[in-house]
Amino acid sequence: MDTFSFHDYKADYNMRINTWYISSLLVSIVVSIPILTVFSSFFEDTSNYFEILKSTFLYEYIINSFILLFGVLIFTLIIGVGCAYIVSFYNFPGVKFFKWALILSFAVPAYIYAYSLTAFFENFGTLYSIIKSILGPGEYNKLIPKFDGMLGAILSISFSLFGYVYVLTRASFHYQSQNLLELGQNLGFSRSKVFFSIILPSARPAIVAGLALVAMETLSEFGAVSFFGISTLTTGIYDSWISFDDLAFANQLSFFLLLFILGLFFIEHISRRKAQYHSPSRGGVKQKKKLNLKGSKSIFAFSVCFLVFFISFLFPVLQMLYWTIIFPKNLLDLNILQLLLNTIYLVFLSSAVLIIFSFIANYGNRVTRSKFLNFLTMFSITGYAIPGVILAVAFITFVAWFDNNIIKHYELNSIKKIFIGSIIGLVIVYFIRFYSLAYNGLKSGYERINRSIDESSYLLGYSKIKTFLGIHVPYLRNSIFLIGILISIEIIKELPITLILRPFNFETFATTAYIYASQDLLEAAAVPSLFLILIASTFILITSRYILKD
Amino acid sequence: MRKITIIGILFAFISSFAFSAEVNVFSARHYDSDIQLYEKFTAKTGIKVNVVSGKDKALQKRIMEEGADCIGDLYITADAGRLGAFQAKGMLQKAGWSKAIKNVVPSQFRSAQWTGIAKRARIIYYSSERVSANELNGMTYEGLADSKWKGRLVIRKSNNIYNQSLVASLVKNNGKNNTANWAKLVVANMARTPKGNDRAQIMAVAAGEADIAVANTYYHALMLSGKKGAEQQEAAKKVMPFFPNQQDRGTHMNISGAGMLKHAPNKSNAVKLVEFLLTAEAQNHIVNNTFEYPMISGVSANDLVPGNDMSFKQDNKTSVKTYGAKQADALEVMLAAGWK
Repeated sequence: MDTFSFHDYKADYNMRINTWYISSLLVSIVVSIPILTVFSSFFEDTSNYFEILKSTFLYEYIINSFILLFGVLIFTLIIGVGCAYIVSFYNFPGVKFFKWALILSFAVPAYIYAYSLTAFFENFGTLYSIIKSILGPGEYNKLIPKFDGMLGAILSISFSLFGYVYVLTRASFHYQSQNLLELGQNLGFSRSKVFFSIILPSARPAIVAGLALVAMETLSEFGAVSFFGISTLTTGIYDSWISFDDLAFANQLSFFLLLFILGLFFIEHISRRKAQYHSPSRGGVKQKKKLNLKGSKSIFAFSVCFLVFFISFLFPVLQMLYWTIIFPKNLLDLNILQLLLNTIYLVFLSSAVLIIFSFIANYGNRVTRSKFLNFLTMFSITGYAIPGVILAVAFITFVAWFDNNIIKHYELNSIKKIFIGSIIGLVIVYFIRFYSLAYNGLKSGYERINRSIDESSYLLGYSKIKTFLGIHVPYLRNSIFLIGILISIEIIKELPITLILRPFNFETFATTAYIYASQDLLEAAAVPSLFLILIASTFILITSRYILKD
Repeated sequence: MRKITIIGILFAFISSFAFSAEVNVFSARHYDSDIQLYEKFTAKTGIKVNVVSGKDKALQKRIMEEGADCIGDLYITADAGRLGAFQAKGMLQKAGWSKAIKNVVPSQFRSAQWTGIAKRARIIYYSSERVSANELNGMTYEGLADSKWKGRLVIRKSNNIYNQSLVASLVKNNGKNNTANWAKLVVANMARTPKGNDRAQIMAVAAGEADIAVANTYYHALMLSGKKGAEQQEAAKKVMPFFPNQQDRGTHMNISGAGMLKHAPNKSNAVKLVEFLLTAEAQNHIVNNTFEYPMISGVSANDLVPGNDMSFKQDNKTSVKTYGAKQADALEVMLAAGWK
């Protein structure tokens, strides 16, 4: 214990001469803007002509959010755990392919999935055309199930998010002790009893962590639920803020939503720790024996995986491809090069800023070991839990407030143009949203560099900067690359922030697709959607071996 | 030396902002065909058109938050209800519409702050198989409340602006209480809980889910054009248009329009752009791409649009300005009636 307190003392001594505090503080302040904005405007004037209806709305929003959440959790649990179990414990044709093919679903954002679902099943939609071309003209519309409204939203979100459960559960299955499984078999447990009594319970923290991520994303989902016209807490916040100028009600809703989400954030955090505790990665894993499936069982396993792969990835891709082929004009009309350049520009700039600041924060935490600094960073990563819509609107509100009350007061030039409708503003809000992704990614890389390496470096007379640039950066090259790609995937798919904050004449694949779709031009939305999926898929394939780390 | 260079660059940068000929458009209407029109305008006048597009309310919010620093000149959107509501928030200014504009746009389709650039009608579509001419005889919007349509009507949600403007016109003509009763009866007649856009309502009639639908005129034409594929083209043929209220005030009309933003830095360029949008050339381009009705006379609507000869009776009595004014009442009566 004495050595620790000595370290703390040393840390605080160092604090005077380094800039880590300042930069971490800066990051924390930037990230805290939306939260503070949401909660500080509780007492502002509200529009009151909906006063009577508010309690009804609130009730509806909460109920809808719950139904949506419940539906998505059940679906993602079954699909995610089911697939993870099959590919982890059995050998059958195609198992190696499915292992990574199933994560391609990450490339399809829920709103694009929603477009595909609607296009395929609507009256006189793609399915109708298919049936008609086989059986000839007829009244098929009534026979075709309609996946819209709540069901459509649940399916769209589930198939684009089950990957979280799949990836985390699979990793946990991978590290499961063979001894434990053998013990079960020796006790005469049946295959299903082994699954329910041994495999599932020991993977529980990982499953819960995956589900918590799914839940957070579901609650903040905007594109698909607004497309299907479902009023959830998130769309409710957007509507009351944007349509009714009713900040107080929006804040009330935000409060409920953030409460939910921070709860999930907490659950996820704890579960991840437990998941680490359960994985005997350092003790060496005895290679699990996969059971070779034969005959009908092998066909069954293949079919399940193929079905999930088909529904989650091939189906939306094929629907978009089909439209692009029958309406080729849309492909020619679109300025793809410009969209690509815009997307690359955003991705590079944001990744660079995110990675640089995460480096500073991580390094700061490492060299100072200050508890306060640690707390600040913990606080900074909560941005991920806040829905993009809220971040964007809160950011605009804050900049406007700051400009009107502080900048104007000192008679300085307005800062609104610098931050609203500019790339700078866009990058700042992306930063708030994705900081935890970058920070935690680098942190796990850093944890693998033994601190004694730093000590040796100092002993050799290297300065801190030199240690950082000459040792840490090269050492973490892979981590940086991986984080850059993960951020890129998120930014390519990101919709509400880009939509609200982008500058004049600036579109991305996501905004183009959304705008076409909101104009009832779903077939024109196919081309940008397809490009978005292709780029995201490429990135996922590049990083698949990291995502599926064995 | 370096400082001077930086200042020089900055100055050049700022001055290029201030003096170059441009007009900034916030557009909630984002047809590719609009962009082509803007390009034509630039080619003619040398005035660059900068566009930021997005959903209507999000754009409005951004304009409001930017306040005096908003560099937008024109706000282009569909529906007079939106323009009226935005004007009511004090976000538009008197545009100083030129003679060229006032001469071609009838006064019920413009205000001092905004003007229509194209028209549409919100009409009834019916199944020619299941609805007889007799049943529709003298049909009105008010008649949608008739119990003979029980379980036979589809219409989209109450949060939709086209419905809000239609109901606003009913509030204006029949009063709030009558419209509240009307809304309850309409909800009772619905064949399903409202969902989907106008096109989905027309397809629901074609597919036999309902017998009549309320939808804007260009949706049907869009389907007939084949731009939505062969199936929808075929489906559209199963559904016929009907123009309500021909015996009294006429069919409910609405506009796509442009409003002059309060802090527009390029006001005269903005007026020029609107003038251009109201030329025969631009109007022809618009009506053949979006299937709206022309704002000016002397241009005919696309052949696929119902009533393209404009021989039907338009409601010229109810100014589109009332749609914004009665919007809150309209939404209130619909929500109170349980209109989802």
